[in-house]
Amino acid sequence: MMQQPDGARGGGRLEALPGKYLAFTLGNEEYALPVLRVREIIRMMEITAVPQVPRYIRGVINLRGKVIPVADLRARFDLDEQAYTERTAIIVAELAQADGVPLLMGVVVDAVSEVLNIGGKDLEETPQFGAGVKTDGIVGMAKSRGRVTMILDIDRVFGGDVAENGRSAVA
Amino acid sequence: MLRADPELASMFVAEALDHLGTIEASILKLESSPRDAQLLNDIFRPFHTIKGNAGALGVGRVQQLAHTVETLLDHCRSGRLTPGPHEIDAVLKAVDLLTTMIQDIGPRLGGGEGRDVWPASLVLMDAIQALSAAAASPGGEPRGTDPHQERPTQAPALPEEPRRRAEDQPGHHAVRVDTRKLDTLIDMVGELVVAQSILYGHPAWQAALDERAARQLAQLRRITGDLQRTAMSMRMVPIRSTFQKMARLVRDLGKQAGKQVELVFSGGETELDRKVVEEITDPLMHMIRNSLDHGIERPEERMRAGKPPTGRVELTASHEAGNIAITVADDGRGLQLARILEKAVERGLVPEGASLTPQEIHQLIFKPGFSTAVEVTAISGRGVGMDVVRRNIESLRGRVDISSTPGEGTRFQIKLPLTLAIVEGLLVAAGDQRYVVPTFAVRESLRPAPGDVHHVQGAPRMIRVRDSLLPLVRLSDLFGIGASGLSPAEMTAVVIEDDGRRLALLVDRLLGKQEVVVKSLGSAFRHVRGVAGGAILGDGLVGLILDAGGVMDLTDERGPEYGGRPSPQRRAAA
Repeated sequence: MMQQPDGARGGGRLEALPGKYLAFTLGNEEYALPVLRVREIIRMMEITAVPQVPRYIRGVINLRGKVIPVADLRARFDLDEQAYTERTAIIVAELAQADGVPLLMGVVVDAVSEVLNIGGKDLEETPQFGAGVKTDGIVGMAKSRGRVTMILDIDRVFGGDVAENGRSAVA
Repeated sequence: MLRADPELASMFVAEALDHLGTIEASILKLESSPRDAQLLNDIFRPFHTIKGNAGALGVGRVQQLAHTVETLLDHCRSGRLTPGPHEIDAVLKAVDLLTTMIQDIGPRLGGGEGRDVWPASLVLMDAIQALSAAAASPGGEPRGTDPHQERPTQAPALPEEPRRRAEDQPGHHAVRVDTRKLDTLIDMVGELVVAQSILYGHPAWQAALDERAARQLAQLRRITGDLQRTAMSMRMVPIRSTFQKMARLVRDLGKQAGKQVELVFSGGETELDRKVVEEITDPLMHMIRNSLDHGIERPEERMRAGKPPTGRVELTASHEAGNIAITVADDGRGLQLARILEKAVERGLVPEGASLTPQEIHQLIFKPGFSTAVEVTAISGRGVGMDVVRRNIESLRGRVDISSTPGEGTRFQIKLPLTLAIVEGLLVAAGDQRYVVPTFAVRESLRPAPGDVHHVQGAPRMIRVRDSLLPLVRLSDLFGIGASGLSPAEMTAVVIEDDGRRLALLVDRLLGKQEVVVKSLGSAFRHVRGVAGGAILGDGLVGLILDAGGVMDLTDERGPEYGGRPSPQRRAAA
């Protein structure tokens, strides 16, 4: 089931998009994050649950001594839940914060594909869709290897301050 | 020269600021003993050092100002001049200007702007030179403004301060270390402990070890434990320097307001985590501003009330069962209940005509919106509301409370954890999760006897523990995780206490006591209640650390049918 993405957010953004991306899959859909925002990729591990957070925040893990939050992208995009397999991975991403110090967050994805070099000619605007939008944060579509990859703005997907999401979702 | 060497620059800045801090503390003591030769030397020497270093590094303005003061101080320590109020004020002003100049060195080197204090410095240097000139003129008697006249505020006597600082003792040396290196070291030691405990617990090892190897491993464990304790202790610093900063504040505020105030402190040697010490400075300052602004009365008013004209502010620090307790107390007019209530009604915090107990009125000053710009006086100036103070302290996992007697005074009581870094906890299992309950919050644990458990609407909600009836809460319930399906009699109840409140927490079983390294969960979870942080457990997984107060707040919110208490009893003032 293809989740309808948000409407395009201004043509100007497409120009900023070309570069290297890490592509990963959720079911049959492929998404990508800029490699500059990817700290590392780790295998799926046991996650400690934290109360009073939205469903898509699975909890926290120990990343070499640092405790970081882990979110499930399937849940964030309201996709059906699926059992974790040995291909399930956690992408440790950097979210931008107001004070300039990036917030590390793990993002659970079905599988990690490859690093893509996306050029200007491969990019297209995200088409305008109707209301009832759930997935913020898709800022462009890339055509490569015969398929469409949706480019994510990780800050928009999880909000600049994840705490805000947490509060409003729980209230 | 500093431009070429940023490391040299930052060393100079750090050391100079350190010296200025020492100088300030010594000057305040000098006010009450102006002829103390040791103090005069304690002030002269660092000025001399700053002047010398600044000269060598080409920081001309700092050198000039420091030199001017050094000359004045030289007159003082050779007996030609007795430092009176004018001299003391001048030197303090010089400390302020030098601090500004030196703090700006970093930003200026980075291409930024600094604050222009040179005109003010020129004026000050003229004044100081005039004071020095008066001393240099020949004549028998030492000159200087009479220290016994006009002494509106007194600097504190510091009874518990040893005459020679620890750093002066033979064999005691200190080094400067970049705090980032220290933090990295501590993090790595933490990881070492975890890695080692995973290894130690691995069944393959246990099987393969012969007696000698087992002893070696035990030895390794001991060494690692010592290493961790030592690393942790490096984070601890005495609170004394924070208290000393308050002395200057009290002196300046008192002068400004025409009040006579004496600051007394004790327990300066009490050690806290370095971070906590940094963060507690602002809240303490606000509380002291409060005391001076609203608490301590002018001398005439005090005398009319039969009090000595000099008001007293007392700062104390002490260890208390895994916490540090800090109090800020004054002997002023106390909280004005009628005025506070009036203001709260005005601000819409309390309905008109509500009747509140004195404790409830005290709590009103902590409510957001209580103090607004209108009520900020010249002294409170940049003051912020007590709600911000409380929030700051709570973000350090601390608590602050207030008690007051009209006409006699007000007391703020702060409780803070000794270190944010480590906590001893009881590891418990609830559902498929594990949690750490800090032992300082645990009163006892017991297996509930079926007859002691009271049900409300079919669910177990209260438990009798000796003579008390306590709320009973399943941890799995509270945190919304899958329950294990055990009945209370098959589980363990852990009685936790916080701020006079108690609650019995039902968990599946106890897993043992452990010292764990506390990790902040980060900004993403700031709003989560009942959780104080995360702990890296022996197997490398994270276990949430419970916050007893938060657990009780959460329970209360769910209402009495869940074992919670009706609201007025929540957070009653001490």
